[in-house]
Amino acid sequence: MLSAGAFFGIMGYISLRGILLTVSLVLALSAVVTLPIVGLAIQNIRAIALNTLRQALRMKVAATFIMLLLVLLPIIGLTASGDGTLKGRLQTFLSYGLSLTSLLLCLLTVIVSIYSVTSDIEQKQIYTVITKPVHRFRLILGKLLGVLLLDMGLLVLFAAIIYSITIYLPVFHGANFEERKQLRNEFYTARASVVPEQIDVSKEVEESYKKLEASGQLEQVFPNYTRKEIMAQLSNRARLMKRAAPIGRELVWEFHNIKPLDPNESIFVKFKYDVSVTPPDSQVYSQWLIGDYRQIRYGAQSETPIYRDDRKDPIRTFREIEVPADAIAQDGYLAVAFLNVPLNNTVVIFPIEDGLEVLYKADSFTANFVRACILILFRLIFLACLAVLAASFLSFPVAILLCLAVFLTGTLSGFVLESLDFLSANVSGVYSYTVRPLIKLLPRFDEFNPTKFLVPARLLSWSLVGKVAAFMVCIKSLLLLIFALIIFKYREIARIVV
Amino acid sequence: MQYAVETFSLTKIFSDLWGRAKVYAVDDLNLQVRYNEVFGLLGPNGSGKTTTLKMLLGLLYPTKGRAVVLGGDGADTKINARIGFLPEESYLYRFLNARETLNFYGQLFGLPPKVRKMRIEALLDMVGLKAVANRPVGTYSKGMARRIGLAQALINDPDLLILDEPTTGLDPIGTRQIKDLILKLAERGKTILLCSHLLADVEDVCDRIAILYGGRIQAQGRVKDLLQQSHKRQIVTSAINDSTVEKIKEIIDAEHAECEITSPMDKLETFFIKTVAEAQRQTRPTSGAVSTTHIGEFLTERSKESILDKLVSAPTQQQKISKAPKTEMTVPAESAEPKADKQLLDELTKPHKPAQQTPSSNDRTTRTEPVEAMPDTSEQQNHTKRSILEELTEEGTPQNQQEGQTDTNEGGDRSDA
Repeated sequence: MLSAGAFFGIMGYISLRGILLTVSLVLALSAVVTLPIVGLAIQNIRAIALNTLRQALRMKVAATFIMLLLVLLPIIGLTASGDGTLKGRLQTFLSYGLSLTSLLLCLLTVIVSIYSVTSDIEQKQIYTVITKPVHRFRLILGKLLGVLLLDMGLLVLFAAIIYSITIYLPVFHGANFEERKQLRNEFYTARASVVPEQIDVSKEVEESYKKLEASGQLEQVFPNYTRKEIMAQLSNRARLMKRAAPIGRELVWEFHNIKPLDPNESIFVKFKYDVSVTPPDSQVYSQWLIGDYRQIRYGAQSETPIYRDDRKDPIRTFREIEVPADAIAQDGYLAVAFLNVPLNNTVVIFPIEDGLEVLYKADSFTANFVRACILILFRLIFLACLAVLAASFLSFPVAILLCLAVFLTGTLSGFVLESLDFLSANVSGVYSYTVRPLIKLLPRFDEFNPTKFLVPARLLSWSLVGKVAAFMVCIKSLLLLIFALIIFKYREIARIVV
Repeated sequence: MQYAVETFSLTKIFSDLWGRAKVYAVDDLNLQVRYNEVFGLLGPNGSGKTTTLKMLLGLLYPTKGRAVVLGGDGADTKINARIGFLPEESYLYRFLNARETLNFYGQLFGLPPKVRKMRIEALLDMVGLKAVANRPVGTYSKGMARRIGLAQALINDPDLLILDEPTTGLDPIGTRQIKDLILKLAERGKTILLCSHLLADVEDVCDRIAILYGGRIQAQGRVKDLLQQSHKRQIVTSAINDSTVEKIKEIIDAEHAECEITSPMDKLETFFIKTVAEAQRQTRPTSGAVSTTHIGEFLTERSKESILDKLVSAPTQQQKISKAPKTEMTVPAESAEPKADKQLLDELTKPHKPAQQTPSSNDRTTRTEPVEAMPDTSEQQNHTKRSILEELTEEGTPQNQQEGQTDTNEGGDRSDA
């Protein structure tokens, strides 16, 4: 019964959320593809769009940005050194190149969209356009379409440049076989990560709190603490306990639903040790078993190999164990067991945030790169809509200022939210009902920063892209655009001159 | 619909952010522009002319009242498709050249490519910018920009043409051309609403005018009615000798009336056009606009579906006849049969050629007609200018000949209409 409930719960979760994300992704992508086609088919929208494109390409800002990127991208490609390794070079180039392209295109989008609307109003070309049989919403759509065409063109151009430099950089530097293998595993791939599930410790914590309270030790152990803070400390301690291996003991983590792209490739167990007593050489000896643990537990017939690795690793550094992907059972099950060998003479702890994860190649680098570019495109769409809204009722400088403020806040939103959350202990009421929702309304550019995924070769999943499509394009951008159209429809176009 | 443009208590009040400091830009304006007439909106700077036009086109929203344009709302795209608008300055995309500009506006009207191409060439030819059509309009002088602005207003072959200061920034030849163009368009049945403070221009082309001041109409009516000095008479003759003049004086003295006898002066406009024509004959190169008198042939006659409109606009036609020299003084009313009338008109149009050009003319007709504020000499000069304008543009093309015909029997044409 319980499992059936859980099953339906999971199904409900998947169907609702999954369907929503899929639908919005399809909507956003089809809008990106079909809008230009439909727009270009309507003659007066096409005329305005192409005129806007033309205007944009003649702007000095656009020319400067394009030239800058055309010059800077190869230079970064040649000079970026990172940590000295080829992987470091590639990571630095990709990170800088993509961030720079994204930043400049964002700025360009804001400037061009605002300029093309406000200059028409200020230089009054709009008098001769709006008095022709052109609906005002078509004028705005035409402008938006022109900007999007520019964005898409430039994005494709620069993405192609970055991609080819990334691919040919190893050839250029004459990488050897080992380096290439490393890059294949750690850079030219899209690795999905699974981490151990958070174990629910609330019951234990509750019990130990009661015990402390009953024995009257609460004040002794936690002087001047609130109940909430004590609970937080206790649960943190309890969780760490679950991830600590005493001397001679074993820790087992089980993972489900691991679907590697190619079973002949490798999977990686990435871990970091913490210890209670630092060993003399700062090394931890260990024995790892990776495979279908159920075979051992239930004595089932051996179908998939179990890999054993006896090793010695430094503490407090990330290490990876590479294992062939055939260790994963047919149903996507994988267990990782760690034995704290008695040689160590210390308790080994895996930190809660990043102590252990299993990485597997879930997609190709190219697909990941394409999704990263789609994320950038979504960001540009949002900014274009925002810019058009700002331009529909503000003058050029004010609109630019507003958009840049939103852009910067969006880029730093994670940081801003965190610091405000930290401050909010004192001003919670005012803060949580005014500033916080406002910031939440802004786009979360940093959370969906594509380089965050590409540099460590993490999988940028379609579901994440779908999430961005849902919130940033289908909801926020659409709302902005609707506001812009409404304002533009009802405002007086002519400047008031008597 | 009786009127091409009609406003009902149209009012525009500009106020500051707090709703204070009210300025009545247009105040309770009731304007009626009939179909197929040239209507002039006059007034000093800041009298609300442009504001009125902007309200007609939906660029500004009236505070009170209503404007009906071609039987609908001026902001409606269906109505917009039948309007041509030239704003007070030609606001153009500086980076487009003349051809691209016209193409852009043509696309906004959804004209098919073939029609667009044909019209663009015809219009460029008409406004004399064909030679410089591939230069960005940002490099154009004000007058050239004005010409291209006019061309964009005509690309949809509009029924109603709204022109805001159509002749500002134009050289005298250009001004003359635009005035001729307005008259020709009126002939073709277009309705033209123009606003200007250049009175001479308005006087030459408008059938009716309204004078605005402080957003209110101060005077409105036919140009002839408003300007005619019915208590005076003017006689224009060929170069007659002094003894004849004395005789005429004696006759007038007998009537106890005052009289003044001078030789009519050429207007500076005429002299200027003559000079430029001379220079053009010597084929001096110019980077500017070329003078033409072509009219885009696509600019159609008003369709016959609107017979009602024509009936309604009948008064306008009569009024146009009144522009031709009046004949009551020389022709007895009873002999005014249609045929005779036309013959007479033709005869009357002949001596319009300046006397100095046809000194040998035996046809020493003497005409008398009511004196106007600007005497008949202007009529006379118009014809001089036309003939020179035609010389400026090489004659011989069938189109030109046709134009020439239209010009010489303009009076006749109009009475036919």
